[in-house]
This record gives sequence, C-alpha cells and structure tokens, in this order.
Amino acid sequence: MKIAIDIQACYGCRICELICSFHHGGVFSPELSSIKVARHNRTGQVEWSISSTCDSCKGEAQALCVKYCAYGALKEVK
Amino acid sequence: MKLNIRRINGGMAGRILRVDLSSKRISTEDTEKYAKRFIGGRAINSYILLHEMSPDTKWSDPENMLIFGVGCLVGTLAPGACRVSIDTKNAFNNGKGSANFGGDFGPELKYAGFDHVVIKGKAESPVYLWIHDGKVELRDAGFVWGRTTYETEEILQRELGDDRIKVASIGPAGENLVRGSCIIGDCAKAAGGSGVGCVMGSKKLKALAVRGHGSIKIAQPERYLAAVDAALRKIKDSPTSASWRTGIIESFYQPESKGWDFSVIVRNGQDEYWPVEKRKRLVDKNIGVPRYNKKFTACFSCPIGCMPFIEIGDGKYKGTKGTGYWVNSCWYSERFDVDDPAASIKFHILSNQLGLDGDMASVVLSWAFECYERGFLTKAETDGLELKWGNEDVMVKMVEKLAYREGIGDFLADGVKEASRKLGKGSERFAIHMKGQDSADPYRIRKGWGFGLATSPVAGRHLRGAVSTPEVSGPRDLAFLPTEYENIPEAVFWQAQAKEIEDMIGVCVYMGSLLGAHALEPSDYTELVNSAMGIGLTEEELTLMGRRSYNLEKAFNTIHTNFERKDDYPPERYMEEPVRSGPYAGHKCDKDRWDEMLDKFYELHGWDKRSGFQTRKCLIELGMEDVAKKLEGAGKLIVTAE
Repeated sequence: MKIAIDIQACYGCRICELICSFHHGGVFSPELSSIKVARHNRTGQVEWSISSTCDSCKGEAQALCVKYCAYGALKEVK
Repeated sequence: MKLNIRRINGGMAGRILRVDLSSKRISTEDTEKYAKRFIGGRAINSYILLHEMSPDTKWSDPENMLIFGVGCLVGTLAPGACRVSIDTKNAFNNGKGSANFGGDFGPELKYAGFDHVVIKGKAESPVYLWIHDGKVELRDAGFVWGRTTYETEEILQRELGDDRIKVASIGPAGENLVRGSCIIGDCAKAAGGSGVGCVMGSKKLKALAVRGHGSIKIAQPERYLAAVDAALRKIKDSPTSASWRTGIIESFYQPESKGWDFSVIVRNGQDEYWPVEKRKRLVDKNIGVPRYNKKFTACFSCPIGCMPFIEIGDGKYKGTKGTGYWVNSCWYSERFDVDDPAASIKFHILSNQLGLDGDMASVVLSWAFECYERGFLTKAETDGLELKWGNEDVMVKMVEKLAYREGIGDFLADGVKEASRKLGKGSERFAIHMKGQDSADPYRIRKGWGFGLATSPVAGRHLRGAVSTPEVSGPRDLAFLPTEYENIPEAVFWQAQAKEIEDMIGVCVYMGSLLGAHALEPSDYTELVNSAMGIGLTEEELTLMGRRSYNLEKAFNTIHTNFERKDDYPPERYMEEPVRSGPYAGHKCDKDRWDEMLDKFYELHGWDKRSGFQTRKCLIELGMEDVAKKLEGAGKLIVTAE
C-alpha cells in the first residue's frame, strides 16, 4: 500500500507528521516523520512528500496518517 | 493547596532561554522548577514577570521583560496544541500585558529545545534572535528593519537557507512604537492586544527565527494516545465543529445565524446593530468576503482549521493576499460602516503585514471618524482625508498612516485614551477603552461578553472570561441567557479559569472553552497533562492551578497600577448610551446590575468586594504565600475582607 494525498483537501495541520513520528520513534518530532507537509504562509500552498522510511504502519489496520487525518486528505492506494 | 509534583517526565522541551539585549548575555535554565508549580505557558510567564520586575518599570524601559511561553502540550498530537503566550508590561497602562498566537512557531520553538524565551534589555541597533537546535544567536536585523511581517519571513528564511524556519516578527508599526502593535507569527497569527509588538519594537528586536529538529517525549505514551483519541472524538462529535471548519463566518456571522445581531460595534459604538442588507453585502457567500477564499488552512495539530487563505483577484485591491480571520475582518469594517468586502479584507491583511493589531487600529481610527463627524477634527487636521462613515478608501489609507505615524496617524498612535486627552472637546466620552487600552468589543447586548471584558486581567480582552451563548461558552451545567445578567458572574468566573488552563497547556480555546468545537473540558486536559508529564494531578488541582495563573495576573495589576474595583466597569459610553436600533435597541450596561455582578464575581474569587483586591485567605488557599507577601509589601493585601 502507498499513501496518496488530495492536496486541495489538505489544511496543512501536520497531524500526519506527528502520528508518523510517534509510530516510528514513540515521540513527537516532524523530523522523524516519513510524511512531510509544508504550509506556505505567503502563497497559501501546501506541499508534501513521503520518504522511503514509510512502512505504511506495518502492524496497524490502517496507516496512521490516513487514520488521523482530520480533513480526509490522505488515503491508501495500491 | 500544596501540590506534590516530584518530577516531570515529558511534555516539556526542558529549558528556558534568557536573553539580555543590552549586555548580549544569553543563558538557560531548567523549566522544571517553574512547571512543578505552574505547569507551563502563560502561568510561568506571569510568575516570572511578577517576581522579577519592579513596579517602577515602565513598558518602554529596558528592564521591561518580553516573555514567550509555550504550553506544556505544544508540539504533541493534542488537538490544537500550538499556542504561545506572550507576556510583558502593557504598553497602554503598564499593567499586565498578554497576547497569544497559534500557528507553527510554538511547536518549532520546543523542537529547538526551549519552552520559554525571556527577553529583557534593549539593543543598540535592530537585531533578530536566531534559535536553532539549542543554539542561540543575536544577529543584526538592519536589512529587515522597515520591512513588513511578510517580507521579514521571506528574507529571513532566504538568509538562513531554510523555508521551514518559523518566524515571529513585528512590522513597521512596532518599530514606530505604535501602541496597538502586535507580533505576527506565520504571516497571519497575531498576538494582538497589550501592545506586545510595541514593546518588542522598543527593544529594537525585529524577529525571532526558530528551527528545531528535536522531539517531545511523553511520559506515558500509550495512555497519552488514548487521551488524544478521546479528545479528537469529542471534537469530531461536537455539533459546532463542522460549521467552524468552514470558516466561522458561516456558523457565526450569517444574518440568519443565532447570535449574529449580538456581535457588532457600529460607527465607533454609536450602535450595536447593522442593517441586514449591509451585513449580507459583507458576508454573502457569492458577493461578500467568502468569494475571495482560496483555501482553508489549519494551525499546527488543529483538527478544526478555521483560517482561510484569501486572495483578491480583481478590483482596486487586486493582489492582496494572505491568511486571515474573517470574523475580525468584518468586525473592523462595521466600526467604520464599511460594507465593501474587498476593503474589509484589505484592512485586515494590511494590518497583519504592517504589524498592527486590527482591534486596536479599528478602535482609535473609528474614534477619529466620529471626531470628524462631530467637527472635532477637520479636513485640515486629517491630512486632507475625509473621515466619513462608509469611506472604505480612507479606512484603508488610515492603516498605513497609523503604522508609519504619518500626520494624523502620529496623533492617534498612542491609543484612543491619549488621543482623546490631547484633543479634548468632550471626545473622551466616546473614546472606547478599558483600563486605558483600546477596546473593540460590544458590551451592551451580550452581558456576559461585556462583563468578561470589563473584568479581564488584560484590560478589555474578550478571550479572558467573556461568554457568548451557553451552547459555545461557559460551564456545561450552567444556564444563562446572553442578554440577561443572571448567572453571568459564575459563567465568566468559570470561563476565565478554563482559559488559564488552556494557556498553561497551549491548547486553542476553540477546542474547549469558547466557540469552536466547545468540546474539551478540564477533565480532558487533566488526563492529557498527567499522561504527557507523568504527574498525578486531580481535575480540581489543575483547575486551581488555572486560578493561580489568574491570580498572578491580578496581583501584577494591583501592584503595578492603581486599578481597583472602579476600573472593572464598562466604558462610559456603554453605561450611558443605549443601543439605538435593531431587536436589542435600548440595551445598555446597567450600573446597579453591574455592581451586583461585581460583588458576586469577587466573592467567587475570595477577593475584597469594596476594593476588588485579593485577600490573604484566598492566596493562602491557592498556595501563593509569596504573592500575598508581595501584595502586603505594596500595602494592597486585604486581611479582613468586606
């Protein structure tokens, strides 16, 4: 499974970064997150990326970034 | 109250940064000893201010301190945990100054290793503070001095080579010591009120730039995640969450919306009602402010997302863009009787760019419009501008004049109380301020809003106790009617206390005590705090810590100013002039009912009814013997209360 984003639906809240880092390291740290979201203050644009460290939350019923996304912007795709 | 917190094992970054701009000395200390007593955020800021600053200090003195404090849950997954409290001497009255913003700056500061930044002294020439992964540098800011807050963020990110750097800065208004200046984070999040940007300008500190790659540890991770899950569920299930997400305006500001006619100040407070057709022009989805919305955004870790990115693509304000808060935009316009949505947005975004708090700017500027209407100010005195109600071009132009202290702008730049003192002619009567600070809010119809404003420890700021309707404010089990006086002191007492807790932990008020989801309660915060920090507070103890925080601010005002009971009444105009039109015509603040409310409010706090001062008994019960001693030293501690 891979993670896909609807960038228009994303509010840039970075909840995905927080839960991802918690999954990887048991702490809250955007630097440890596989998913990165940046909300640009002067343009309103949101950019995102996902690194090879993403394991789609192995062991979880659903990828945690998808589960916790408050705006329905993330989903799992094959 | 004696708390037995032996050790804190999570939540915090762990260190407090201290910077003296005069000596350029930089030092750090552990947060824990403060957090054991005051948890975090504003409560710690207030404690440091009360204990380290002399009452002789004026807001513009180098000895004044400017403290950024991040709540103990900020940087974690707790919903809305992103708030930063900024505390200092109030630039309007030398009492407690306090403002607050969200966004990404607070979390980044914690990832960089600091819970608080305590700044004092005054730089010889403009500087900015570069904080990155535990390292701190004071750098020359000559190349960004004079720049807008937007430009400052862009230039500093380029200079430091990282667009993930978070910036809190002042604009030209703060540099020019305009009292109503704010500090802007993320180009949009305004720490408004108290003139915190003016204080920062007086220190010649242009900005704080922050970048951190660190992490926040949690004492009991599994328990914490369960508490977060429960909190997120409550917010999702709240009946008001979804509508809030669409930008407040649709839930709060549409003509058919409950409460919409309670919330406006028209023509500098001449009225609290605006005709439906004007309001529709301003807020209608197709022709009003919403048509300029490009995209909604959220602060860090926020599941609601109340702020849109706005861009004007046509007309005379074409090219204006930025993240904004629509309710504020509309509030400002109504003060000038301006129903042009593009001008309303321009006023708001321009204020953010120039570092002016729109609340403060709209009060003093609309007062000038009323002076012009009455002939107290002539065209010759307003630089040729016609300050007529509904003149949107002049409304926008005056923002620039105020920020740069140009002509009439300079006359107005020290706030409405000072401007009316200089002008005289009876203009003082319609100069709307609380305790010397310009006050933008309505007082007469919603009694709980007015009472919260009047008793706020930061001079007329609505986030410190004001209640709206029981559906979105106040304790869940207390009935009160927005337009009546019954149970208002109890609701405001609870509201102010809840907000203190939220600012200790750094969770946005929209998650809990006021408006927004109105979902989380002190019991939720207790579980989040205990599992994050590894401590064992009861809900009652956390609530009492909120009261401690409030009492620190009260004591600061009592010691540093002459405020007492007489200063907890609404502005004169709102006691004397009733609302002129609309369904609530005739409403005003009744002096006798206000007296009854104050008696009850002081009684709930355990304060003296005659003076409004704190009592020894109240402070001892809160475990604040040291504060009682300070008040005693100032001759303002009440031993036998009336």
